[in-house]
Amino acid sequence: MRKQGAIKRTLGILCVLLFSWYSAASESLPKGIMKQDGRAAPALLLEDMDGQTWDIGKARGRWVFVHFWAAWCGPCRREMPTIQAIYPQFDSAELEIVVINTAESEDTVFEFLAAVAPDLNPLMDKDGLVTERWQPRGLPATYLVDPAGRLQYLALGGRPWDSPDYLNFLKHLIEYK
Amino acid sequence: MCPEFMQSALFNSRIVTLLLSVVLLSQSAVADGKKPLKYEDEQVSMRLVLRTPEQLSAFYQGRGFNQAAIDRILETCFITPIIHNKILDAVWLELDNWQFEAGKQPIARITRDYWSGKWREAGLPQAQQSTFGWTLMPEVRDLRLDEGVGGSVVIPMQSQPFTMTANFHTGLDKKGKIKTIVFEGIQCVSKEP
Repeated sequence: MRKQGAIKRTLGILCVLLFSWYSAASESLPKGIMKQDGRAAPALLLEDMDGQTWDIGKARGRWVFVHFWAAWCGPCRREMPTIQAIYPQFDSAELEIVVINTAESEDTVFEFLAAVAPDLNPLMDKDGLVTERWQPRGLPATYLVDPAGRLQYLALGGRPWDSPDYLNFLKHLIEYK
Repeated sequence: MCPEFMQSALFNSRIVTLLLSVVLLSQSAVADGKKPLKYEDEQVSMRLVLRTPEQLSAFYQGRGFNQAAIDRILETCFITPIIHNKILDAVWLELDNWQFEAGKQPIARITRDYWSGKWREAGLPQAQQSTFGWTLMPEVRDLRLDEGVGGSVVIPMQSQPFTMTANFHTGLDKKGKIKTIVFEGIQCVSKEP
């Protein structure tokens, strides 16, 4: 009898601990941020609007914020000013913010970014094939690639990156470099 | 496995969820010209937008689509559902589980494969094909907590109002209650003759 009671109590404690651990794990990420399986990030070699090439293979040793967007997409338009807002807050040697336009013309991109995110110099995925290789769940999409070049997190849709939850999350990433 | 008091709390919450689901499932939204094409419960919201030929032409022309491609688009009926999973672990968008019918006759959905042939005929460049692909609703998506999705679902142009029945599995393992949302009396907006 006493043994059964002890087993029940132990199971109860285990259930509570498991539940607390699960809640803590779920709540530690801001809303809409999904952990990834750590597989290697796909290749990403594109030119920016000045014709400078950027290669994710050369970004080892720092986190990379890889953001796919297009000016025709409403959530992308709403999210972009929040990326502009956090851009100056990170040293690119620790977290590099890379925005990739999917299959639009330079005129369209320039017209949009000049108004809402003048500091960002996007990479131009002119035919959209790099975006397709990354297979985002839709546009916009943001991947966080760790310093070893592995996909660690995916942001589902547009996120308010300049709000404390998201900003602190990004700052914590750098600490765990 | 868990003690009785926890099992009973879990059981009660399941009963409450089940009852709520029974009450809230199979709701209809009617497009009678006054009511908006909207559905919402505590788990999911969904609304439909029907694009006019003028809107479609302007959108795709603005993105460099040639007239031949735009003509192909205007031969069809574009419905844009916008769905948001508010609280569930996963709501499964699977377009093969959606049905369209007019006057009890099923309407076959136009899938992504259809367009690649049309774009070859129209000589549409890869960049525009890519843009078009991103404007379509994904065929399959596990919509996670607080995730939304929007995009076009395409059917052949209809002169009569039609019904769209969208079935969604729920839960990460798809073992949750199936959610069914029905929109009735939807009308395609066709090009003026």
